[in-house]
Amino acid sequence: MGSRAQKPGAPNVTADLPAGPMQAKATTACLECHEARIILQQRLSKAAWAKEVDKMTKWGAVVDPADQDALIDYLSSNFSPDKPAFDAQRTSSGKRGK
Amino acid sequence: MKHFSAAAFAASLPPSGLTWALPEGQSIEFPGKDGLILRSYRFIDLETPAEYFNTWLTPVPHFFVRNHMHEPSQLEAKEWRVSIGGEVEKPVTLSLAELSKIETHSVVNTLECAGNGRSLHRPQVPGVQWGKGAVGTARFSGARLRDVLQRAGVKPSGKHVMFRGLDEVPGNVPPFIRSIPIEKALDSDTLVATHMNGSPLTKHHGFPARALVPGWIGAASCKWLTEIKVLDSEFVGNFMSPGYRLPNQPVKPGDAVKPEDTHPVTALNVKSVISGPFDGANVKSGKLSVHGAAWGGEADIAKVEISTDGGASWNLAKLGRDQARYAWRLWSFDWKTTKPGDYEILSRATDTLGRTQPATPVWNPSGYLYNAVDQVRIHVA
Repeated sequence: MGSRAQKPGAPNVTADLPAGPMQAKATTACLECHEARIILQQRLSKAAWAKEVDKMTKWGAVVDPADQDALIDYLSSNFSPDKPAFDAQRTSSGKRGK
Repeated sequence: MKHFSAAAFAASLPPSGLTWALPEGQSIEFPGKDGLILRSYRFIDLETPAEYFNTWLTPVPHFFVRNHMHEPSQLEAKEWRVSIGGEVEKPVTLSLAELSKIETHSVVNTLECAGNGRSLHRPQVPGVQWGKGAVGTARFSGARLRDVLQRAGVKPSGKHVMFRGLDEVPGNVPPFIRSIPIEKALDSDTLVATHMNGSPLTKHHGFPARALVPGWIGAASCKWLTEIKVLDSEFVGNFMSPGYRLPNQPVKPGDAVKPEDTHPVTALNVKSVISGPFDGANVKSGKLSVHGAAWGGEADIAKVEISTDGGASWNLAKLGRDQARYAWRLWSFDWKTTKPGDYEILSRATDTLGRTQPATPVWNPSGYLYNAVDQVRIHVA
């Protein structure tokens, strides 16, 4: 799973996509519109990931056709159905006890 | 924006035996939202933990947030307008001041995301991986949509009412525009809501005004409303089709489903959630209160049954006193545990339409309307 910057009290703590040869290209293509957790929480088969990448490119994700297969492999190997569930954090309004 | 009362907030916290507060550094600061599960901050998707479902009204700091797109970047109450047009006698535009002059109506509504429970489907499907908490109940108030539409005069040709909001859409994503049938739009409980639990809507919940379509999926209740358009047929767009549709017949994963073999998701399903004890709890032998909430969209709850033996036998839960059309009922069941061991507690609601929660979920490609019986596993010491 990707590393998560966890600065105490920092707002909107950024999550990263997992390390790998496609990390940079996936980050550029995908995180333009939404953050990494949208991806990190999915658990899909390779066929389902291929469908999602197709939908996302139609909706504006810029993916070089030469990179498409590698991107699908990267997503489907990191976020396959057998992986444990994504461990979500909780919010804090910072006003507790006031 | 009115600050949430600290006393009311403290009263709404789960009993002190439960530890939901994470040590510094593991929680993420999110003004106005306390202890919610962060599915995403961009787009904002925040989920309410099940242990918070122990008050009839969900306080706004605990209310789930679901945004498909980005919230409006520029929004001034004085500048905001809503236009009413399309199949009408005379199009009109209203400011917030003009909208506020129309007689208001109040509806206590259980608002649930169509995708609530999606993460529990097997096989898994794409989308926000909600657990049990993309749901909440609040008192919404504002002008009746019927009265707003009357200002423009709906023509007989009007069959659907389309809502457009001020949310901002990235890339080539189609705008989040949907429509509801004219009968539901003219229902006396469908609102152009401006208030939630007695205070103006916060930005996350659609300030300054949103559609409020009671008993239906949250997607019908368009936030940051700016355009109401009467149409002669269902709106054509991604979030009417293929979005928010269910196969007419049960399908297996991998089946091809033609658009003409689907119907739109509208009213919510019958459902219950266990808010205590929580999943994985370790409890002492003796008296244990099993409690939670149950709802049925446009139908009322007829009964809630609890099983403490994994479904072999069922007991009637007591329903809470607070009730309103479209609002959930709280329920409780006092269980005297005797033998130590591992137990599976189930809750099963039945509504006044005769629908009952199924033992196994009804799978569909988008993971909508998950409503299998709820389940927690506990250990009795």
